[in-house]
Amino acid sequence: MWSSGLDKHSNKKKNSNNNSSCGHGGSSRIVSSSSSSRSSPSSTSSILPQTPRRRNMEEVWKDINLTTLHHERPLASLLEQHSHPHHHHHHHRAMILQDFLSGPCSTVAPADAAVEDIPLPPPPPLLPPTALSLSSGLELQCLGGGGGRCGCARITGHSGSSSNSNGSRVNCQAINSSSNNNNVHGGPFMSPSFSDAVIGPPSPAGLFSFCSRKRMMPDVPVIGGDRRHKRMIKNRESAARSRARKQAYTTELELEVAHLVEENAKLKKQLEELRLAMAAQLPNRIALKRSSSAPF
Amino acid sequence: MSRDPLVVGRVVGDVLDPFIRSASLRVLYNNREVTNGSELKPSAVVHEPRVEIPGRDMRTLYTLAMVDPDAPSPSNPTKREHLHWLVTDIPETTNSSFGNEIVPYESPRPTAGIHRFVFVLFRQEVRQTIYAPGWRQNFNTRDFAALYNLGPPVAAMYFNCQRENGCGGRRYHAVSGWT
Repeated sequence: MWSSGLDKHSNKKKNSNNNSSCGHGGSSRIVSSSSSSRSSPSSTSSILPQTPRRRNMEEVWKDINLTTLHHERPLASLLEQHSHPHHHHHHHRAMILQDFLSGPCSTVAPADAAVEDIPLPPPPPLLPPTALSLSSGLELQCLGGGGGRCGCARITGHSGSSSNSNGSRVNCQAINSSSNNNNVHGGPFMSPSFSDAVIGPPSPAGLFSFCSRKRMMPDVPVIGGDRRHKRMIKNRESAARSRARKQAYTTELELEVAHLVEENAKLKKQLEELRLAMAAQLPNRIALKRSSSAPF
Repeated sequence: MSRDPLVVGRVVGDVLDPFIRSASLRVLYNNREVTNGSELKPSAVVHEPRVEIPGRDMRTLYTLAMVDPDAPSPSNPTKREHLHWLVTDIPETTNSSFGNEIVPYESPRPTAGIHRFVFVLFRQEVRQTIYAPGWRQNFNTRDFAALYNLGPPVAAMYFNCQRENGCGGRRYHAVSGWT
């Protein structure tokens, strides 16, 4: 489930696998935004107004989409979550991951009904759609401090940290299983620093990058502007046509190869038969024949 | 099991309905046979190809149509299909030069994107008069076949073609923006 957000291919494949554990079967989504937009400090600076806990998935996704990296959910709310041990039965869903990644780690207000009792972190301020960009990195900022219950990792997008993400993935799972009873929230998206943060103050040491989200969730209405959406759709269609073209050509070549091989075999066989036939006849021709040539 | 290239390339769907191939078709540009789904340059297809219809019975007549379903561009096929060539009364065992060229061959000159150019072959029941449509664009092969009772196609093949020197991609138009 950790990996579901990391790249779109694994996203698709793993989403269905993650259903059981994550509870959220929809396509996970990582909001990617330019790393330049990240400027706020790691500690919670603002307490955002609370929103009603029960939000449907669309709203949460919208939040994720519109939230940039800046947004930080106050750790306080996360703490609240931690303070309620009974919360912890909620599933760590991919959405949690996405929430986490898209905003402050307090997050996660999963839209899942199972987590209803967890107070929803205040929604991120609506950022202009242009803040969303299909840049190659995703930068997240986790809230730090707060008693060290929640590790925050500053996740900056850069290409070199993919190994980090893998490592963090492993960490996550390990942490997830071990921390379940620790009421550590946000297990799946822990970074290496998170594990430290569990113990002590969060450090921005954990860095991992995510593949850029190049695909919007199907159920989210146009986000980021109609033009971009349309362009994306057109691009997809073009890509699909390209694939179809390639596939058609390959298929045709395969058919032709099969046909030619068959024809070749047939012709060879024919050739052999003809040779045999000729060989059978040949002795007759070579046979000496007497013909009369004497004048008398 | 690999599927028919005509289906994969969406020729069946965009231009034709699914059909059963009951005739064979060979398209030769410059004496080279075109493989289904291959790509040709506009310079290679300037002149009409030689379309051979192998068979046995010279009495069977065929109608051949060549259309471009991706006009003006594959992402925006508002002029689907553009009729490039229409030849009727082609006797089996011969080739297109023996038929009636109802609509003269127009060289493919795609400006945007990679276009498919589809050859469709219909079997004629009788020698019939087929009238040229008023214009080449927005030709509809299905309707055409229905209009002249040609029935389902008996053979089809297609090739791809794009601008000679590339950049069939997005370019900026003052009016329509980036397309």
